[in-house]
Amino acid sequence: MYVRIESIDFGYTKKQTVLKDISFSMVEGEIVAILGSSGSGKSTLLRLLSGLEIPARGKIEINEETLCSADTFVECEKRHVGMVFQDYALFPHMDVYKNIAFGIRKYPKAQKRQRVMEMLDLINMEEKIHAYPHELSGGQQQRIALARALAPSPDILLLDEPFSNLDADLKMRIRHELRTIMKKSGMTSIFVTHDYDDAKDIADRIVYLENGRIAYEENVRHQ
Amino acid sequence: MLSRIKRNINVFSVISVIAALLIVIPMLNILLEVLSPPSAAWVHIRENLLNAYIRNTLLLIGFVAVFSALLGLFSAYVVSRFEFRGRNLLSWMLILPLAMPSYIAAYIYADMFSYTGTIARFMRSANIPLRVNMMNLSGAIFIFTMTLFPYVYMMSRSALSSQSASFSENARLLGANRFRVLSRVVLPLLRPALVAGTLLVVLETLNDYGVVAYYNVRVFSFAIFNAWFSLGDTTAAIRLSGVLMLIVFAIIFIERAIRGKRQYSMHVKGKPVEPKKLRGISAFIVPATLWLIMALAFFIPLAQLFYYASLTFSDVINANFIFLIINSLTLAITATAITVFVALMLANYNRGTKNRFKKGLLKVTNLGYAIPGAVIAIAVMLFVHGIDRTLYPVYRLFNPDTGRLVISSTLIMLTFAFVLRFMAIGYNSIEASYDKVGEKFTEASYSLRAGKLRTLLTVDVPMIKHGLISAAIIVFIDVIKELPLTLILRPTNYNTLASEVFRYAREEMLQESAVPALVLIGVATFAIYYLTHYNKKGVAANVREN
Repeated sequence: MYVRIESIDFGYTKKQTVLKDISFSMVEGEIVAILGSSGSGKSTLLRLLSGLEIPARGKIEINEETLCSADTFVECEKRHVGMVFQDYALFPHMDVYKNIAFGIRKYPKAQKRQRVMEMLDLINMEEKIHAYPHELSGGQQQRIALARALAPSPDILLLDEPFSNLDADLKMRIRHELRTIMKKSGMTSIFVTHDYDDAKDIADRIVYLENGRIAYEENVRHQ
Repeated sequence: MLSRIKRNINVFSVISVIAALLIVIPMLNILLEVLSPPSAAWVHIRENLLNAYIRNTLLLIGFVAVFSALLGLFSAYVVSRFEFRGRNLLSWMLILPLAMPSYIAAYIYADMFSYTGTIARFMRSANIPLRVNMMNLSGAIFIFTMTLFPYVYMMSRSALSSQSASFSENARLLGANRFRVLSRVVLPLLRPALVAGTLLVVLETLNDYGVVAYYNVRVFSFAIFNAWFSLGDTTAAIRLSGVLMLIVFAIIFIERAIRGKRQYSMHVKGKPVEPKKLRGISAFIVPATLWLIMALAFFIPLAQLFYYASLTFSDVINANFIFLIINSLTLAITATAITVFVALMLANYNRGTKNRFKKGLLKVTNLGYAIPGAVIAIAVMLFVHGIDRTLYPVYRLFNPDTGRLVISSTLIMLTFAFVLRFMAIGYNSIEASYDKVGEKFTEASYSLRAGKLRTLLTVDVPMIKHGLISAAIIVFIDVIKELPLTLILRPTNYNTLASEVFRYAREEMLQESAVPALVLIGVATFAIYYLTHYNKKGVAANVREN
């Protein structure tokens, strides 16, 4: 298995339980949707996978590397995890090029530029290379955030409510486009949503979260 | 066209336009005077002194800006990003140095480091062969940094505590270490706050006369006073004012140009960054550094003032002192009331507007804060003298023996100058409150057929009362400790606490200046305490009201 999550427990305080005994696994290239109502703990699960929070118990393995267990904790900046935040969190003082290049600063200059161009080609936005985030529409910002997360070739891509900032019309159009980009990049991805249609249209499999526990799983597409 | 103009005439627009005219005419007057033929004194200044004035001014504001930015940023970062003992206390106390007028800190430090001063005596008794002379450019840089850095602190702390954690978290997920997150993300996003705070420090430094006069640092405000009072040359003073205004506008323009089309804020919902607990040696060193800054900027000069007050209070506190307090309070309350009233009218006139005329009007009326006191003083004096000259025949109708200067010899001139200079402060506070409340309540009132004035008094004012109180308190503190305008424009024999502190210091009677200085600092300290503790309630109340 490419991703293995075993018996994860988490609470922001000792008394409170946000996630309880979460276990599931994924094969390489799979897209999994975590579906649940607000407060069900789905965004917290992404924060645990990315290393922004530390679980009280459990084990996380990605690409045969243990990121978190009773005696191991790999800091978020060393995890090779890409994440698209709910509000995209594009750096407002950097243009599109600098935003995408932020995570690949160690690449030689020419290679860095080439990689940024590849990403812009993937999301079909080459002409916006020098635009600032405030000059882009919501949908364009979302694609740039996706390109930025994909640029360092992470082991896994996490998306936190990627459609929450888009209006209904745009959302319908972008859903299909997002799945195409994600599949084209071959990236193993987890995204959280509270909308069944989002989950059904994009994911290969849906994991239902209720009150911090996995209620059941559903295969939407056969791999 | 005519009907559109007619529709727009109301109490807010009339007062706003009159206020803007009263502010812009004196400034235009100065620009026109610059074009008049140069005097012999100006030729002398231009050929022999101007370069030194420009060099000293740039050195002073350059170093003060850098040091204040570093100190303000450091303290804001520590207070908002780390948890340690005394953090809550320090978070508001770091604003207190603003209660210490720069000129008072300057007198006290110069005295403490003088041959017979506390520190110099201590150094000699401890056999430390270190002799520090405060009365120079470096001393002035130290004084301004210590008394003005809270502007940067306040702005940066507010920006840091509202900065979404998503930016830093995202940067870390993209592989950035803590230093890179700080240097490439956190600090650049702070830029508007940092620049705004530093700009305030620079403007206040340019405005000062008390410190530079006492330390004999030949910068522009010193030169303007000198040209006016020592050389008796108005045109030279006006030309110097013109050059100083050019420097101010150049600074503002350069900042805007460097910023370009970049933006530094985006609406991002994420939670603010949680402060981390300081551990080990840093749990001791970091708070100790902040307390040291507080000691240098506030507690040490305050302790020295208390000591001097204990020696002189029986000589100083008399009927004359009571009059000083009454004068200062009357002047400050009158100027504050007028400023807040006009600011409220302007804020109403400009609510939610996209109209270029209104925006331009607003920029003009808020210009005063960027213009140093000495320049405003000259502008107002020329303007009011002009009015007196024009009205002289009218004065004679009432009193054939009248002198030429009637308004000029009253407090009207000084009050007008205060309103002009501090309008922006009052306006910004009121505008921020209006932004928070929004326009829906006012529109609801209009839809229920309430007129503009009734809506203002029964809906708007009660809803923004916290903003109005903040505006009034901030303007009040600024007026009561203001020096350059007071010195130039007060009527003969009319003294205030600030002018009396200046006079005592000038006459080498520093110990006698301690009591009035402590009253000024006490009033400002109380006001800061009230604002920092009251504002929290204000924010909570506004949230509830929404």
